[in-house]
Amino acid sequence: MSKKNFGIAIAVIAVVAAGIGAWMVMIPGPTAFASGSTVALADYKDANPTGVPKEMENASLIARGEYLTHAADCVACHTAKNGGQPFAGGLAFNLPNIGTIYSTNITPDKETGIGNYTDAQFLAALHQGKRADGQNLYPAMSYTSYTYMTEADALAIKAYLFSLPAVHAPAKQNKLSSPFDNRSLMGIWNAFYNADERFRPNTAQSAEWNRGAYLAEAMGHCSECHTPRNLAFAMNNRKKFAGALTAGWRAYNITADQKAGLGAWSDNDIATFLSTGHADGHGGAGGPMGEASDNSLTFLTAGDIRALVVYLRSVPAQDSDLPRTVNTPAPVSHREGVTAGLDSRGEKIFAGACASCHDWTGVSPVSKYATLTGARAVNDPSATNVAQTIIAGVDRTTVNGKIFMPAFGTAYSDDEIADVANYVTARFGAKGAQLTAKDIASLRKQVAQQ
Amino acid sequence: MVTLQINGQAHTIDAPDDMPLLWALRDIVGLTGTKFGCGIAQCGACTVHVDGKAVRSCMLPVGAIGNRAITTIEAVGDTPNGAKIQKAWLDIEVVQCGYCQSGQIMSATALLNRTPNPDDSDIDAAMAGNICRCGTYVRIRQAIKNAAKSA
Repeated sequence: MSKKNFGIAIAVIAVVAAGIGAWMVMIPGPTAFASGSTVALADYKDANPTGVPKEMENASLIARGEYLTHAADCVACHTAKNGGQPFAGGLAFNLPNIGTIYSTNITPDKETGIGNYTDAQFLAALHQGKRADGQNLYPAMSYTSYTYMTEADALAIKAYLFSLPAVHAPAKQNKLSSPFDNRSLMGIWNAFYNADERFRPNTAQSAEWNRGAYLAEAMGHCSECHTPRNLAFAMNNRKKFAGALTAGWRAYNITADQKAGLGAWSDNDIATFLSTGHADGHGGAGGPMGEASDNSLTFLTAGDIRALVVYLRSVPAQDSDLPRTVNTPAPVSHREGVTAGLDSRGEKIFAGACASCHDWTGVSPVSKYATLTGARAVNDPSATNVAQTIIAGVDRTTVNGKIFMPAFGTAYSDDEIADVANYVTARFGAKGAQLTAKDIASLRKQVAQQ
Repeated sequence: MVTLQINGQAHTIDAPDDMPLLWALRDIVGLTGTKFGCGIAQCGACTVHVDGKAVRSCMLPVGAIGNRAITTIEAVGDTPNGAKIQKAWLDIEVVQCGYCQSGQIMSATALLNRTPNPDDSDIDAAMAGNICRCGTYVRIRQAIKNAAKSA
């Protein structure tokens, strides 16, 4: 290569690298997909998209804060598994190759909680990801979403949290590998990936859409699980709501995609799924989405749920590699259907442990929440959520009562769980999974709570 | 208040919608032939029929049943297949301790309702969820085949 060509090659590489770098850091905002222009909240003339719904306008500050705390679903991450005190922290986030981060105590305990936080410090945590001592939080705390929350709403949440009993619960020590154990580096990340701006309504969209956008982005932080992340672990809004693997569970595509998104769902299906964690023909929510439904979405008013539906419906379709959902029940007899002739261990386990509730057809004789037909999880050929549900079971308190499935994680080996997950996806879904014991071990690790 | 159609009779009981049917049967209606085993649909001792299908009553909330016909071990002998199964059970003395047998008989009857001449594979698929700690499985399998052959 001549000296000149070499120089050109270097220049091309530099330009491409700069382009990729710019592509990675210049990510559009969470609502940038919508046409129209945005204005500051103060300049928005239509109904206020922030705060509590109209019927609660005159409620006390603490009652409003409680509604907003539900909407922001703080309890989901700030409560440890297996009977942890609400808001006292201790939930583990296991990040592959990075380490484990624990959520912290946000009860008003002065020593171990946030009892000494001033309003300004609380706002800095939610908007800038800074804790009281000025150190950076890790974005496991979804401040890149909460940054869009108004000051008034954030402080109402603070008022509610401060009305709760203080729980003495010292923070668990994070276990992070270098360089991720250096909090100051998050300052650079924040410069690229935390917008640090408040919600700006879109004047070309309806008031209902703007309310839905505020609830989904600033409060419910749907994107944190449902939007894929880029190499720097920032939400990639170019693939907004296209689905992603988060903490060992798959958060599904919730764009308008007909095949694997919400395109084929009616408005009523989406509303019912959000507020009850189940919709007939689409199965029930398990894992983290079951919790989001029971701890957060079920407390929202019908009007707020409608606004969320309007907003979700507007998100452009993103193709995903999931096959089209199978909506027809499997045959009554175990001999028929795609698993016929498979005298596998998976079938034997299904016969003994699963068929009594889920039936050989997949349509449960016990509870609509237990119907497998049409559920996303069994139609996902990775069987991620099927395997996690077998391991962890289901223990939900829904608006329709207790929903319970035993946890089989300690009763069956990794081999057995893989076999039954493969069998279930083959029988009831679009395509059978090919999980191995190794995959199950990895899934267990991602949700482990040590 | 919930109204249930149990063994051909309507029972209006004072129970929350999410009470498992097993609780209502045993503690409120007084039908104690149906047994409590594990409470999590893993043993089959609590099996009853809802519209002729085997269902684990420990996991079935009373509010989810509506008008569908519930049949328990106390009345399954009044159905043709139930009578055949019970006779076959007695003929070859299937039972040892007996605790799981109400559920076994309910599952076996539901199997015959759906599959009049079951082979070993059908029996395994239908009965695998009914556990017997005495190990009467061999005789259960034989009794089901005898019942299927009986007139």
